[in-house]
Amino acid sequence: MKRPELLTRILITVAIVGAVGAPLYIWSRTPLIHAQMSENGGWSPDVLRAEVGKPLHLKLTSDDVMHGFAVGQIDMERVDVEPGKVTNITLTFDKPGIYTFFCTRWCGLNHWRMRGTIEVNGSSSDPEPASIPLYVSLHLDIDAPHDAASIPIDQPSAARGQELATDLPVDLSAEYYRSHSPYQAFNDLANTALTDSQRWDVVAYLWQLNTSKESLVNGKQLYVQNCAACHGENGAGNGVFADDLKAAGDASAQTMVGAQDMRMQTPANFTDPTRMLGASPALLQGKILRGGMGTGMPMWGSIFTEDQIWDLIAYIYSFQFEYHK
Amino acid sequence: MDAQQFAYSPSELKVNPGDIITIQLVSTDVVHGLYVDGYDVSVEADPGQTATLTFIADKLGSFRFRCNVTCGAMHPFMIGRITVGTNNWLFRSIGLAALAVVGVVISIKPKA
Amino acid sequence: MAKIELTRSLYVKNTLKSRYPQLAVFIVMLLGYIFAILAGLIGTPVGSHNFSIVFVWIAWWAILILVAVPFFGRGWCAVCPIPLPGEWLQRGAVLSPPDKRPKWLNLRVPKMFRNIWLQNISFLLLALFSSVLLTTPNITGIVLAAMLFAAIGLSTVFERRAFCRYLCPVGGFIGLYSQTAPIELRIKDKQVCVKCEGKPCYNGSQAGYGCPWDVFPGGLTKNTYCGLCMECIRTCPHDNIAVNLRPFSADLAKPSTRMDEAFKAFIMLGSAMIYAGVLLGPWGVLKDAAYNVGSSTWFAYAVVFIIIIFGILPGLFMLGLLQTNNTTPLKQRFASLSTALIPLGLMFWVAFSLSFVLTNASYILAALSDPLGLGWNLFGTANAAWQPMLTSVLAPVQTLALVGGLIWSARTAQKAANEVKVSSIPVIVYCFIVTSIMLWLLL
Repeated sequence: MKRPELLTRILITVAIVGAVGAPLYIWSRTPLIHAQMSENGGWSPDVLRAEVGKPLHLKLTSDDVMHGFAVGQIDMERVDVEPGKVTNITLTFDKPGIYTFFCTRWCGLNHWRMRGTIEVNGSSSDPEPASIPLYVSLHLDIDAPHDAASIPIDQPSAARGQELATDLPVDLSAEYYRSHSPYQAFNDLANTALTDSQRWDVVAYLWQLNTSKESLVNGKQLYVQNCAACHGENGAGNGVFADDLKAAGDASAQTMVGAQDMRMQTPANFTDPTRMLGASPALLQGKILRGGMGTGMPMWGSIFTEDQIWDLIAYIYSFQFEYHK
Repeated sequence: MDAQQFAYSPSELKVNPGDIITIQLVSTDVVHGLYVDGYDVSVEADPGQTATLTFIADKLGSFRFRCNVTCGAMHPFMIGRITVGTNNWLFRSIGLAALAVVGVVISIKPKA
Repeated sequence: MAKIELTRSLYVKNTLKSRYPQLAVFIVMLLGYIFAILAGLIGTPVGSHNFSIVFVWIAWWAILILVAVPFFGRGWCAVCPIPLPGEWLQRGAVLSPPDKRPKWLNLRVPKMFRNIWLQNISFLLLALFSSVLLTTPNITGIVLAAMLFAAIGLSTVFERRAFCRYLCPVGGFIGLYSQTAPIELRIKDKQVCVKCEGKPCYNGSQAGYGCPWDVFPGGLTKNTYCGLCMECIRTCPHDNIAVNLRPFSADLAKPSTRMDEAFKAFIMLGSAMIYAGVLLGPWGVLKDAAYNVGSSTWFAYAVVFIIIIFGILPGLFMLGLLQTNNTTPLKQRFASLSTALIPLGLMFWVAFSLSFVLTNASYILAALSDPLGLGWNLFGTANAAWQPMLTSVLAPVQTLALVGGLIWSARTAQKAANEVKVSSIPVIVYCFIVTSIMLWLLL
């Protein structure tokens, strides 16, 4: 074979091997975490491992639509995971345990199912004992109906309630607030000289005392990012996925026996006083922590901190009460 | 205006020149955006968070609006149309085409 | 306007004759092609950030339809990498012919397939799946690989560039539209060819290979099937082959009467209009139908697609033709007058392509820096934002292209009509109608 022919063949072979080999090699050494809509597989991989105190570097990319990433119950800013682009993030854990990471930008009906876990090994200086949620210690059946026997005619106002509550023997403590529904609080004021609507105003004031403007703002942001898509931007249970949830429930009811109430259904309407005023913060906390057991309501226990849930509950009651204006 | 993979609803708008347009973008499945050709304005909406885009329709003609947040495979073709006033450019172009045709036809007449 | 022989310049002639410049371009293209396959298969599934989608359907397509075809005819074929591996195998060498050539089957492509019908079908197949093809990196990677392997396979069975000449979906329309281009490869003096012994331009010699496009250069009168590979310039012992600059669409003065080419014109015209409606229109139902391959709506879409291209468009054309006198057979009238649709179709594709290219060209910057979506930033442009370009220029250029195309096709219709002694008016009216529809779809 002539020299130029041989050299050219070598050149071509080297070039092709390089063009294929180099990217392939780098690709195989790049550990990417792929975000996909739940319907397409969710997070891949969905189990990560880390050591206490050792920084965990993650490379996240989306394979389809806009997603986001955050880890539950640690203090971090959520990051966007964009289609076709790589987001780099470094996490450091002080306590061992199993953490849940989740998608933070709505990516379809099953967005909330897009979760994974980070198993963090190692020892920590102060082990934290687990706490029993309030609804459990109160022995509340959070799936039982909780309709209020009577409801106010106008929306109760905390401002009016404040004026009325000055001389009343009202239990203003957090324990009382958390363990009693507004209706129960309304009932407990039966032996006062107030009218019904005045009593509701006092209840609204009671609720206001147990929250703060800040928690309302926090709660609103949490609601908008996590709840509004199903429960509606105005809390009426008519979010963009409400119809899909109902349709999914109707479609599945044909094969389900028993527990008809636990199928996928239209999200709760927070503007409905009968339903909401009969629910105590503890009950709402229970629902949020545990989820809806097949109703389509996600479980947030591993995602939100306790404070976040109380903030969210404060915001949810603002569909019923006029407070912190 | 609802946005879903891969169309807007409604997907065709007709407005008058000078109108102040406010579009409330409601994403019904994933995060979508709205970008208006010619006006270079845009907005992004997550499901559950209606986003508002306001602009003055001061440019005449027909413009496409499209999604500017990658929302799946057919994202580059998620398109709608807004017509401000009448689509003069189209009519003039068709008129020009007609004129051109007449011109060409006439120009052959002298030949046998 | 006369022809200007470009190969008169020694610089041009030697650059074209030497194998090295061409090979350098070939290697770059081949590497790009292989990388596009790789990117399609292992890169991010998000089309807008994957090298294969961005560089094939935006960058390469833009250069092809806006520059290569209108100005260089089959210029892309001159540098396309698809036939290379097969051809190297077939020839037994990468450069000049070796002393001992390998024995492959070298079968002649059967007469039944020696037309562009297979190319019409392969283009249509891609067109029916285009929504998925244009947006899914995996699919683009597989199709590119399939074409490469098909070309290699065909080269081991058949002689010359069988894939390029008879199967390649791109070659089908590049060939048709190359008739409008201002560049051509032709012999200088017919008498020289008559006296030439052995015809090495077609049969090969020690200096080079016989025409891989199965064309006899001595008989070339149109660009349609010449792939500008320059082999004949290397083999001609009489320096009788030239590359000329010439007026646009000189070939259309001699209209073809082949049905396969006529239908190709309709396929291209129709698919440009359908794409403009489905991809650039506001009708989500059509997009869903086009994308959900395999569903019943997609079948309906495919059927409508085929009816438009093989039924409605040629049918209306035929109706117009029936109005004209019938001394010439209808088939001949149909074929030669459909030549008028060639410049129109080209301009339809230019206008349509401009829209999505200018809208999405900014993706090229990001894909250049991070071709596989792995988080690289090779040139610093990985985070370049999506931003439509030159939007104020788009509508005027589209109008110019479409109206210009209409004028061009009207004149072509007149010349073709003269040849078959009929009136060109029905064809011109037809062109006006489809142009108006295209204007409405795009503007």
